[in-house]
Amino acid sequence: MYKVVVPGDFISEAVSRAGEGTYVEDGKVYAMRYGIVDERGEIKVIALSGKYVPTEGDVVIGRVAEISFPFWIVDIASPYEARLHMSEFTDARGEKIEFGSMNRYLDLDDLIMAKVMNVDVMMRIELALKEDFNLRSGGRLIEIPHTKVPRVIGRSGSMIKMLKDKCNCFIFIAKNGRIWVRGREDDMNLATEAILKIARESHTSGLTDRVADFLDSFKREKGRR
Amino acid sequence: MKEGKGEIELIKEGKRLDGRGFEELRPIKIEVGVLKRADGSCYFELGGNKVIAAVYGPREMHPRHAQDAKMAVVRYRYNMAPFSVDDRKRPGPDRRSVEISKVSREALDPVVMREYYPKTSIDVYVEVLQSDAGTRTAGINAASVALADAGIPMKDLVSSVAVGKIDGEVVLDLDAMEDNNGEADMPVAMVARTNTITLLQMDGRFEKEEFERGLKLAMSACHKIYELQRAALIDRYSESVGEGEE
Amino acid sequence: MGLEIVNEVRKDYVHDLIGSGKRVDGRGFREYREISVERDVIKRAEGSARVKIGNTDVLVGVKLDPGAPFSDAPDKGVIITNAELVPLASPEFESGPPGENSVQLARVVDRGIRGSEAIDLEKLCIEEGEKVWIVFIDIHILDNDGNLVDAAALGAIASLLNIRIPNERYGLTGESTLPMRDTPVAVTAVEIDGNILVDPNFNEENAAASRLTVISNADGTLSGMQKSGSGGLKEEEIAEVVEMGIEKAGEIREKYLFS
Repeated sequence: MYKVVVPGDFISEAVSRAGEGTYVEDGKVYAMRYGIVDERGEIKVIALSGKYVPTEGDVVIGRVAEISFPFWIVDIASPYEARLHMSEFTDARGEKIEFGSMNRYLDLDDLIMAKVMNVDVMMRIELALKEDFNLRSGGRLIEIPHTKVPRVIGRSGSMIKMLKDKCNCFIFIAKNGRIWVRGREDDMNLATEAILKIARESHTSGLTDRVADFLDSFKREKGRR
Repeated sequence: MKEGKGEIELIKEGKRLDGRGFEELRPIKIEVGVLKRADGSCYFELGGNKVIAAVYGPREMHPRHAQDAKMAVVRYRYNMAPFSVDDRKRPGPDRRSVEISKVSREALDPVVMREYYPKTSIDVYVEVLQSDAGTRTAGINAASVALADAGIPMKDLVSSVAVGKIDGEVVLDLDAMEDNNGEADMPVAMVARTNTITLLQMDGRFEKEEFERGLKLAMSACHKIYELQRAALIDRYSESVGEGEE
Repeated sequence: MGLEIVNEVRKDYVHDLIGSGKRVDGRGFREYREISVERDVIKRAEGSARVKIGNTDVLVGVKLDPGAPFSDAPDKGVIITNAELVPLASPEFESGPPGENSVQLARVVDRGIRGSEAIDLEKLCIEEGEKVWIVFIDIHILDNDGNLVDAAALGAIASLLNIRIPNERYGLTGESTLPMRDTPVAVTAVEIDGNILVDPNFNEENAAASRLTVISNADGTLSGMQKSGSGGLKEEEIAEVVEMGIEKAGEIREKYLFS
């Protein structure tokens, strides 16, 4: 069963194992977030809510919010916006792209898949494009709180594998809570519902089994029709 | 307007007009996550007070020059709805609400770990929907729960209540009738785990000994309120599994 | 920006000194800076006082005008307290509508006078429900070197004592002097690293996480209190400030109000 804690709750005296979502005071470990305690290995409090703050190496889905030469300013569902430098592209002759033509490569509202290359102390965030970065067509974007991402992936990828198999979709889950789903219309609908269900019930146990039941019963109904 | 002493009898046969004992709180009701768009929210009822708190953020702060490069800036807006009091309140901030917003923000500052979100703002909006004395304390209780609900890193929750003096007696949690006709009113906020006082105001007239007794009374009531705040947060995620399916 | 850096440096300095039991200006923890109160400095005001506490310099003026009473107190005079932190007093002050600090300052001073019932408002009724005396207390900060509250509160009560009501100007008869019943005095202290320091100067205010003002009356009762700042206080610390507040208020009252 999951143990829910609120900020200030005493968790343990094992100060050396204090991890994410906790703080130490007078030789004791306390919760600093409203969340669920995970004491396997480090003592962590997995937040139930909160904003995404990028760290280097994260793969995120961003949306171009502004073009400000020589950068694209990218919204990454965080209090901090990220920047993508124009040198990520070259023109047909392999030369630098020109001032004023940036929007031909990436325009406002375009969705991209990118990797967080650097986060400095002033919280300036540099991105680099992933291969197949452009999420322009044929798919659907789902946004869930980033705190629920681990549940959608599941222990060693079990949940996501099941979703992909049973829904027949390409599914990419980014660290910032944005999920890209591509497939046939009704398959995408099913995947969307399943993902939202996971996000809603992320704090409960036995979730994988229930999601499996949900997907199976849906398919049986469809078979009957 | 604390000059009504003696005009209205506030204590009869050792009980207050609403039947409470001197050290008794009004009924409290707390609901977490009541607003969909806010990052965190809480509805808090204390007797006839109905307040709702919403937290937005951490989010990009505007205006930019108000940003703090080292930590998040907490902004707190206490606002009374025009219909929340007998005589309609003119909408918008007045001097009272400006002061209450300031001291309420300062009551929460010691627990919010602002260093985790430099350059952002954490905006706390408290709306008083119905007022029956003690709105600022109800607002702080709601705001503290809403901050936790928003996933803001915090060292503790903050709990708040007022004490006062009516008909010469030190009593807990004045209602509007008592506040308007009483001799003193003292709102207090506290971190229950460490017994640290984060808000203290006093209005009216207290003997030193009465003040000391009042403070102790408020502190012990804050412990009770803290337990209710904590329970409201815990219960939200303790519903049995499966029923929630739509 | 430059100013902030200087403040950061001084903050450390304040903390370091206090660690060895000293204050930046060499005072004891329970010692006020030098206080001066000069009364009736403004001819056009019915009452006025200029109060200096160290370098902090505050001018308070009181004006009386006939006006309408509040509907819930038709037979009582009205007190309106206002504070202006004018830009001349400090690089931190900006022009524009009153910010939260000036609002708080005015309200705390007001609370002390109201809570103590220092002014007998019932004697300020001219015609019930129609006309009463309105007492305007205006606080003007001239130089901010910390502890504005104590200076402003002292200026306010010093101005209020010995006010002649301007009956002639309005063709009225009645009470000739402002009826005063008490003398509330504010005493403010800050907490820095577990130490309580009375009468903080500007640098000490900046270094402190919390500040507590205690307003007390001639008979030792309390008539107002306000904690401000982003820190917390322990019950013992509050008790110490209350204790000291009553004692210091007695000394200040004796020396500057009844001399």
